[in-house]
Order: sequence, then C-alpha cells, then structure tokens
Amino acid sequence: MPALFLLIPLLGVIIINLPGRKIGNRMAVWAALAVAIIQIGMAVTSGSMVWQGLAQVVSLPFGASLQIDLFTAVVLATTGLIAAMSLILDKNAENPRSLYFGSLVLVTMMGMNGVVMVRDIFSLYVFLEITAVASFVLISINKERDPLEGAFKYFVMSAVATVLILAAIAILLLTVGSVGFKAVADNLSAGGVSPQVIVALILFIAGLSIKAGLIPFHAWLPDAYSSAPPAVSMLLAGIITKVTGVYTIMRLITDVFSISSIMKTAFMVLGAVSIVIGALAAMRQDDFKRMLAYSSISQVGYIILSAGLGTPLGFAAALLHFFNHATFKSLLFVNAAAVESRSGTRQMSRLGGLASKMPITGGTSVVGFLSTAGVPPLSGFWSKLLIVIALWQAGAYFYAVVAVLASILTLAYFLIMQRRVFFGKLREGLESIREAGAAAVVPSLILAGITVLVGLLFPLVLLLMQSQGLI
Amino acid sequence: MSDMMLLFPIFVPVFLGAVMFLVPGKAKWVKEALLLIGTAVTLVVSILFFGKNMDFVLPWGGFGMDLSLKLYQFSSFILLSVAVFAFLIALYSVVSMKGHEQAKKFYAYMLLTLGFVSGAVLANNLIILLFFWEGLLVLLFAMIMTGGKKASPTAVKALVLNGVADLCLLLGVGITVFISGTAAMDKINLPMDFWGSFAFALMMIGAIGKAGSMPFHSWIPDAAIDAPLPFMALLPAALEKLLGIYLLTRISLDLFIFQPGSGMSIAMMTIGAVTILLAVMMALIQKNFKRLLSYHAISQVGYMILGIGTALPIGIVGGLFHMINNAMYKSALFLTGGSVEKQAGTTDLEKLGGLGRKMPITFTCFFITAAAISGVPPLNGFFSKELIFEGAAESGLVFYIVALLGAFFTAASFLKLGHAAFLGKRRTEHDNVREAPWPMLVPMIIIAAGCILFGVYNALPLNNLIQPVLGAKLGGESFAGILPASWLLAGISVGVLVLALANHFFGVKRTKSGLGAVDHIHYAPGLKTVYKWAELRYFDPYNIGMVIVGGISKVLWWVDRGIDWVYDKFTVRLVNILSLGIRKAHTGSHRLYIAWALGGMALLAVLVAVLI
Repeated sequence: MPALFLLIPLLGVIIINLPGRKIGNRMAVWAALAVAIIQIGMAVTSGSMVWQGLAQVVSLPFGASLQIDLFTAVVLATTGLIAAMSLILDKNAENPRSLYFGSLVLVTMMGMNGVVMVRDIFSLYVFLEITAVASFVLISINKERDPLEGAFKYFVMSAVATVLILAAIAILLLTVGSVGFKAVADNLSAGGVSPQVIVALILFIAGLSIKAGLIPFHAWLPDAYSSAPPAVSMLLAGIITKVTGVYTIMRLITDVFSISSIMKTAFMVLGAVSIVIGALAAMRQDDFKRMLAYSSISQVGYIILSAGLGTPLGFAAALLHFFNHATFKSLLFVNAAAVESRSGTRQMSRLGGLASKMPITGGTSVVGFLSTAGVPPLSGFWSKLLIVIALWQAGAYFYAVVAVLASILTLAYFLIMQRRVFFGKLREGLESIREAGAAAVVPSLILAGITVLVGLLFPLVLLLMQSQGLI
Repeated sequence: MSDMMLLFPIFVPVFLGAVMFLVPGKAKWVKEALLLIGTAVTLVVSILFFGKNMDFVLPWGGFGMDLSLKLYQFSSFILLSVAVFAFLIALYSVVSMKGHEQAKKFYAYMLLTLGFVSGAVLANNLIILLFFWEGLLVLLFAMIMTGGKKASPTAVKALVLNGVADLCLLLGVGITVFISGTAAMDKINLPMDFWGSFAFALMMIGAIGKAGSMPFHSWIPDAAIDAPLPFMALLPAALEKLLGIYLLTRISLDLFIFQPGSGMSIAMMTIGAVTILLAVMMALIQKNFKRLLSYHAISQVGYMILGIGTALPIGIVGGLFHMINNAMYKSALFLTGGSVEKQAGTTDLEKLGGLGRKMPITFTCFFITAAAISGVPPLNGFFSKELIFEGAAESGLVFYIVALLGAFFTAASFLKLGHAAFLGKRRTEHDNVREAPWPMLVPMIIIAAGCILFGVYNALPLNNLIQPVLGAKLGGESFAGILPASWLLAGISVGVLVLALANHFFGVKRTKSGLGAVDHIHYAPGLKTVYKWAELRYFDPYNIGMVIVGGISKVLWWVDRGIDWVYDKFTVRLVNILSLGIRKAHTGSHRLYIAWALGGMALLAVLVAVLI
C-alpha cells in the first residue's frame, strides 16, 4: 500500500500531461485535487484491514523500504488536505500555467509522501531533493522578479543544506556502514559516540534546520513565502517546509537520535530561539505574508521544542501542533491571498477596516490568529497547552515559561495585524472592495471549521491519541 | 413556647425595619408607630423569654455553619436589657428626632440594629455570630451617616476602627473553629496554649473593640458631635457595651479556659486600666456636654474589662454588674444631654448654665445618674465599682490605684459638668427654656429610678441576673448586700469622692466658674502640653494609622507606577527595539544568510562540544 502514495501522484502527473496543453490547463488542477482527496482518504484509512488484505493479493515494489505508522498517516492526510486547499485557492486568480502548477503540486506531493514513508537516510535525501526542486519552480512559476529572487534564495540555501546533508550521509555511510534508520540508531546506542558521527550529526541537523527554517538558518524563508504566488506560499508554509524540515527532524529524533540527550538539547535550544526571535521579528513587519512567515518560524519552534524533549507526551503535543499549525497557518495564508487579490497589496499600512467589506475573510482570520496565539477553545490552545504541560512534566521549566510568554508576543503581533488589516476605519480607496471569491472563501471556511472543531471536540482527539498509545 | 419563637426577636425588628423603608416620607406617625411596635414586641418577647432555656438549630449551611440559636440565662438577660434600652430610647427618639430629615432612615436602622444585636446575642454558632456582628458594622456606619454630610468622615472613622476590630474577631473565630473543629459555641472549651491564647487575644480585641475600649475608641467622641443623639444613647452607651462585654464574658467564661494571673489576664487588665485613666483624663477637660459623656462611655468600659480581666469571680460579677449599670446611667446621661440640646439649643458648656431651675426633672435625673457613675453610695455604680475594686486589689495594687484615680477624675468631671450646665448663672437667652416633653422625660425617669433600685436593692440584679451567669464557678457565694464587703475599700472610695468634692471647690474658688473647676489640672505644668497634643489628635490611633497607611499607599503607588512602566513602556520599547533590529538585520543578501546558517552550525558544534 505505501507505494500507492508514490504511484498515484506520479500517475496523475502523467495523465494530466497526456491530452496536451489546452485541455491540460483546464483539467490539471481538478485532477490534482482528485489525487489530493484520494490521498486524504487513503491516509485516513491506512490502518484499516482493507489495505492489509489488499497487500497480500497484490504486491507492489518498494514494499519493504516504505512504512506507514500513525505519525506518517497524520502527515500524509495533512499533506493531502493542504494540497487540496492550495489547489482550490489557485482558482482564485486566473493562472495561465495551471497545467504546470497542477503537475508540480503532484510532484511535491509525491516527494513529501516519499519523505514521510522512507526509513533510510539516503532515500530521505532523494525525496527531499525532489520536493525542493519542484518547490523552486513553483515559487517562480510566474517568472516575476520578486518570486525569482525568493526562489533563488531558497535554492541557494537549499543547496547549502544539500551539501551538509550529503556530507553527513557520506560520513555516516563510512563509519556506520549503513544508512537505514535502525542501523544508525543501533550504532549510536551501542558503541559510544565517535567524533565522526558527532560531526555528521551536526551537519545533518544544520541541513535540516535550513529546510525547516529554524533560526538562524531561516533567512530564505520570509523572502520565499512572501514573494511566491498565493497558492504556492500557502502550500510552502502549510506543508512543504513542515514535511521536509520539521517532520524529518521529528522522525529522526524518535527513530535515530532517540538516545542522545545532546541532540535533544540542541533541538530544544534551536526551538526556543526560533520561538522568541520569530515572534519578535513578526512584530514589526508591514508585509502581511512576511509577517505570517515569521510567525511560521515561531510556531515551528514550538513543534521542535516539544519534539526535542523526547518524551512521549512531548512528541504527541508536537504532532498535534504540527497538524494544527498546518491548518491555521494555511488559513491565514488563504486570507492573505484573499486580501491581496481584492486590494492589490500586502502592505498592512495601506489596508484597514476590511472586516466590514470581507466578513468571512476577516472572521476566519480571527479564528486563525486566536488559534495560533493559543486562545481556548480553539485547536491551537490544546496543542500549546500540551506542549507546556509536556515541558513542565519533563522539568524544562525555563522552556515552559518561554513558551508561555511567547504566546503573549504571538497574540500581540496578530492583534496588530488584525487591527491594521481588518478592524478600524476603512481606508480610503478601498470602498468598492468585495468579499473574495469562492476559491478563497471555501478553503478558509474549511480550515477555520477544522480549527474550531478540533478545538471543540478535543476530548475525542485525546481519546483517539490515547487509543493509539500516543499519550 | 416553640423553639421557633427564638427567631422572633431577630426577624420582627428586621422585617419592620425593612418595611420602614417603604413608608412614604410624608406619612405621619406611621414610621413612629412602626418603631414603637417593633421595639415593644421585642421587649414583650424578651420578657417572656426571660429565664427560659431554648435551642433552635437549622442546619442550612454545611461546613458546620448551622443557624443555631441558644437562649439561656445569660443571653436572655442580655436580650432583655437590649430590648428595654431599645424601647426606652425609641420612645425618646420619637420626640427628639421629630422633624429630622433622616428620621425615617434612622428608625429603620434602629430596628435593624435591634434585630442584629438580638441575633448576635442569641447566636450559638461562631459563624452566625460573625454574620450578625459584621451586619452591625454596616448599620453603625449607616446610622452615623444619618447625621448628615458632616458626619461622613466620622462614619468612615467608625467603620475603619470597628472594621479592624472585627477583622481581628474574624481571624480569632477562624482559628478557634479550626482548632476546636466545631463552630458551635456551647461545645468549645479551649485551653490557653499558644494558638489558644492567640485566638483568645484576637477575639478579645473584637469584643472590646465593639465595646469601645482603647485603642478603638476615637470615633465615639466625634460621633457624639456629628451623629443624632439617640444614636449615642443607644449604641455606644448601651447596646455596644452590652454586646461587647457579653462576648468578652462568653469567651472568658465558656470558650476558653481563662485563669487568674495568666498572661492574658494581665494583658486584659492593663488594657482596662489604661482605658479608664486616659479616657477619663480626656473627659475631664471637655467643654461640650455630649463629648464629655462620650469619653466617659470609653472610660467606663475600662472598668468592665478590668473587672472581667481579673478572671476572679468577684471581678467578673463586678464587671457584668458594671456593664448593666453603665448602660443605665450612661444612656440616661446622654438622654439628659439630649434634653438640654433640644431645649436650650446647644451642648456647648460655655453657653450653658443655670438650667437646673428651668428643667428640674432633667436636672434631678442628671443628678442621680451622675452620682451613680461617680460611685456615690448607695447608688448602683457604687456597688459595681466596689466589686471591681476588690477584684483589682486582689490581682495587683497598681490596677487598684489606677481604678481609684479613675474614680476621682470621674467624680471631678461630673461635678464640673453639672455645675457648668445646671448651676451657676443662667444666660439671658435661656430665660424661656422649658422642661422637655414627657416622652423624653419618661425614659430618663425610669432609668434613673432603676439606678436607685439596683443600688439600694442590689440583690435583685446580682442574684437574678448576674451571679447565675457564673453558675458553679461562684461556689454558692453571693456578693449582694446593702453593705459593701470590705469596709476598708469602701472607706477609701468615699474618701476619694470627698477629695473630688474638695478639688471642685478649690477649682471653682480659683476660677470663679463651674466650668473652670478643673483648670488647675488641665493647665498643670507638663499636663498642659500633653492635653494640647491630645486635643490636636496627635494620639488618635485612627489618625496615626491613617498616616502610616498613607505612607504605605504612597510607596505602593510608586511600586505600581514602576510595574506599569515595566509593562507599558519598558516591555513595549524593548520589543520594538528588538523587532526593528531583527527586521533591519534581514538585508536580503543571500551571502549574509548563508553566513548566518554556517555561523549557526558553528554555534551548534560548540554547544554539542560543551555538552559532551
């Protein structure tokens, strides 16, 4: 079954490119959307007996090297969800390159699916590169100046990351003799940590930190997020960097570095620094999407901090925040796209009072930022609460206090954003503005609904997590 | 008689008091009728109750906070006294408050006060006691406020001073309930270990604060000037003394094991002695009828605390006897002051004089009650004071001497007061002053007659009201009798009275006026300065407390500013500076960004190296 997650997107790319450009432009996005929805369905049912039975009948290639556990399934479902939302949002603006867009989204999906399912470091690297290359093109798909600059920075930093990761893999291969997660982990736990392995790990962490956008490896991220087309920046912020960076780190922490307290400390420091500096940087941004980008850095810091704890509760909280962040941050990017498409600007100093003209966008934005800041009863409150509890239980009091105080900063910069964009007096020149089209409103309603529902039905989520042995 | 009846003396006055607020302002006699009915019903009920034993328990509160009322010998005696005074003073105020714009409110508060005092007296649960006690604090404030705008600082002062005392009571009750594990008063009997003494001291402060002892006294002289006169006769003169001393006796006799010669006993006697002396010294130099009386209201409470503080049966009996006697003559004295004010238009002694001929009944009542408070035999004050003297002499000579000094100054100040108000030359503007109307005279006459009765036939109150309170502790002894037990002490007391008389004649001869009779003490070297400072309120605990509180609040204000600054200015500026700095650091140069990433990796390496 895992192979299907690679084969279906690949098949999708081939199919939409067969009929030629004209028809392809019209149907590509819809076909990709269908693939994304199939992926959600498959991911949600991945634990069921049907697939196991099917696996015994039909045997597909790579069966052994790809695996799906609960963590993987959650990420696969989230990937499908965010990709679907991004594809809908793409319909918000006239996109002459729909065929390319649809194909590239499918490629990134395939790359991400690979990243989450593989269980050895080298394959991980291959799928990371597939995703990254598709992302460069996606950012600069319109061949405009700013996106090209953003894509270039991403490209350069990614190249650095690639070098670091490849070097690390090479060293590991030399010393350990294998790149499978289990083999490396066993080697780390068995015979004392050799200096070479330490160097490899530092290189690996630095490379993944670039991918995840952790401070101080983050600098490409605001440029790339803010300059990319709306649907792309949402995909990028919502899922691509999360999977390539954050998921990979979480996976490696649990499967590979699980013994090393040094690695945990390193990740927790990185996480805490990202939380604080990301939040501080978001405070004085004028560009709507750039502010969201810094906010993403800050929120990723929470996930890494919690996962870095290495406790089961910390990991569960991180996983939950991973999902929640994907939904509410994508929601805010959808809203940013809606505002930009109607007003023609992302400068918050030129916006104001939009809530009266765009009630759905303004309203869902309130849901999004309150959830990000961790206000009950929204989903973000619960995951942040779990993170703080996990930190406190593990005795990481200082980090717990940092996490709580940074929530205040989060609330502060989002209140500034909300006031400058949606509340207050309507700015001159914006009188004729209308609510965004269905392509923007539908994803924002879906994502806001998920945010609210996960918050309200949190007891069920907790039960689910309990039944899966996560907490 | 059903035990439910115990609710009557609480709910009848409270209900009628609530109804009072609904009476239209213009309706004639309705509010007066309500007041008289309310107090009369309570009086009748308490007469019926007298000498009975009743228990009423309504477990409504959980945590042991039952509405538990208990009527027994002591509480029925206090309840009866309260009801008598409330009725007589109600009768008096119907006339004296006539035409007063706040009369309706005053009557309503009076009825509510009566109900709450009944509740506090009947309460057999410390929490319920506390409820009624704190309700009285509010009513006290409200009653002083009926004196008009000028009374509000005094009302606040009374609220703060009594509030502090009540807070102590609250803490004391809390500790007591915690140690003993029950709030039922008849089940508590705690030894005086560390926490026991602590709880006792706190509850004692609450009790004597209500009775108006030092240092919770300083609102009383101010209220004498600002509040309506019936208020003074009702609360500081009568009900508060009854209630405060009642609680003091309860905690000393029942709730705690209070031994003679213990530290608490000496502390209580010291408070009593200091209160006697300082307050009477202040009373001596007052030049206002009501203010002079109010200082005596403080001073007399000192005798009761001294008596009960001895922890000897004779002292406790004396203190309780003095409590009832004081309530009688002090309220009657206030009533005579009220008559003078009503008829002559002032209570300023410099403007009074020679009223004795114009108001013979008032003067006669004044004469009897003043003699009673001064301890002239065979009036009631003489006998209760003799009992306290004996208890004090047995406990410590110094307490006896202070008590004796207090008697001397009491006599001297009443000689001065009587002389200045009723004798001497009458002012021309008072030529047309007439005797007060009968509803004002009747209460005075009844109480003055009571003073004679309780003196001459002291077996009546002692054997029937007071000695049963101590019960077995007394060992069958009786202190009743037309002749005092100790001829020596009685002789000394009479000698002191003669000295006071001599002092009076000396002073009158020296200054040629009744008002100046004590000027040689007032302006004696050394005392003169102290008196000046006292009159400037340098020693007023309220003022001292307010200065301290003012200082603290100023400091806290600055602390608050500081915290505000940290929140509103410092944090915002810091965040802004950091935020702008981070924003500026992102120049857009990818070389710089790569450098950051590599630098970050280096730091990571250092971190790992350090940790390893």
